[in-house]
Amino acid sequence: MTLIETFERSRLATGAGELWHRGVTARFLDAVGDGSLPEEAFHRWLVQDYLFVQGFTRFLALAASRTPRPAQSVLLGGLAALDAELGWFEGHAGSRGLDLGAAAHPTCRRYVDFLVASAYTEPVEVLLAILFGVEVAYTVAWGKLEAKGPYAEFIERWTSTEFQQYVAELLRLADAHRHPGRQPAFDEVMRHERDFWRMTWTG
Amino acid sequence: MAGRTLLHERLWRQNRDLASACLEHAFVRGLAGGALDPEVFKGYVAQDAFFLRSFLGAYCLAAAKCAGASERVRVFHDLIGGVLEELELHARYAASLEIDLECVTPHPATSAYTDFLIHTAWAAEPARIVAAMVPCMRLYAFLGQSLAPATEANPYRDWIETYSSPEFEELAARLEALLDELGQDARGLEETYRYAMQCELAFFESAWTRQAP
Repeated sequence: MTLIETFERSRLATGAGELWHRGVTARFLDAVGDGSLPEEAFHRWLVQDYLFVQGFTRFLALAASRTPRPAQSVLLGGLAALDAELGWFEGHAGSRGLDLGAAAHPTCRRYVDFLVASAYTEPVEVLLAILFGVEVAYTVAWGKLEAKGPYAEFIERWTSTEFQQYVAELLRLADAHRHPGRQPAFDEVMRHERDFWRMTWTG
Repeated sequence: MAGRTLLHERLWRQNRDLASACLEHAFVRGLAGGALDPEVFKGYVAQDAFFLRSFLGAYCLAAAKCAGASERVRVFHDLIGGVLEELELHARYAASLEIDLECVTPHPATSAYTDFLIHTAWAAEPARIVAAMVPCMRLYAFLGQSLAPATEANPYRDWIETYSSPEFEELAARLEALLDELGQDARGLEETYRYAMQCELAFFESAWTRQAP
């Protein structure tokens, strides 16, 4: 079984039902795959995803501060990776002349508000399920594409073996920390993923 | 200084478009005329009670962040008392309308508003927290005063009387005075205030359309 299959068969993903499907499929990604993506949509995604990662970094820093060892070690590794990712986004935005100081789209803002509000108020078990949700959605969504064409570097980023192994670690942590609030929070992540992808396509 | 516009006045004026949109909203017109479908009102009360718990939490966090200034804490203390009274009003509605306030699933518009409030209340300085909270208070005072006096026959008379009362106006004005005091040198308050107003309008729209997650 591939890691993607493991993720798809995880208790949280199957528990989310139709929401899982909606969180990991997108018109935007179909267009990346068939080469029809408008440049405007790609630029919108690049800026809004960067603003999202900034908020996600706040979530992860708060979650890491509250997570006991040894699980904390995985989250701290994730934080270092996010730092590198922010730099990577800045490079791509700079070379395309995009303004990363732009306002967050309301959809992006709602997602970040949900994450940070949760980081302060939800138990660690729930935060681990949210963290797994955010990352697994990306690796599975991008994983439907072959790493070729003008966006190969982007596809490769979230489908690399290294990233998938990190997501597998997050799944292990999530499953080791059971809590009744896990599934509703995971479902909420999928709603935000669905809405975010719609926003990248429709503006 | 004579003639100077206070921060809270400027922000309210900048957002009059949204306040008017709320006043003209079908949901609010239904409250005004008393013709609002009781099922729609029932859904609204449940969502509003869910929202008010976050609102209460935000006041508590703002008070904690002002613990060194007892006059400010006193304002929050009184505002907290106001929300607790509002929650009692909701509990009375809930009992008479047979709503279980413990089992409310928030609409997306409700979650967006409460997530924004909770994020702000935990992460931001008191000026920004207050800027996120004034819109709800001032808007409800405005709506209540615009809709008053309610006729004897209006089933939503209680709601209109609560928000048009001098006590509610006083609470709104005290929070605004705190905004003027705390917000003198703060940045980005316009954006926070406007976003809260947008959340208010979306909340009425969601109550009206009974939007499921």
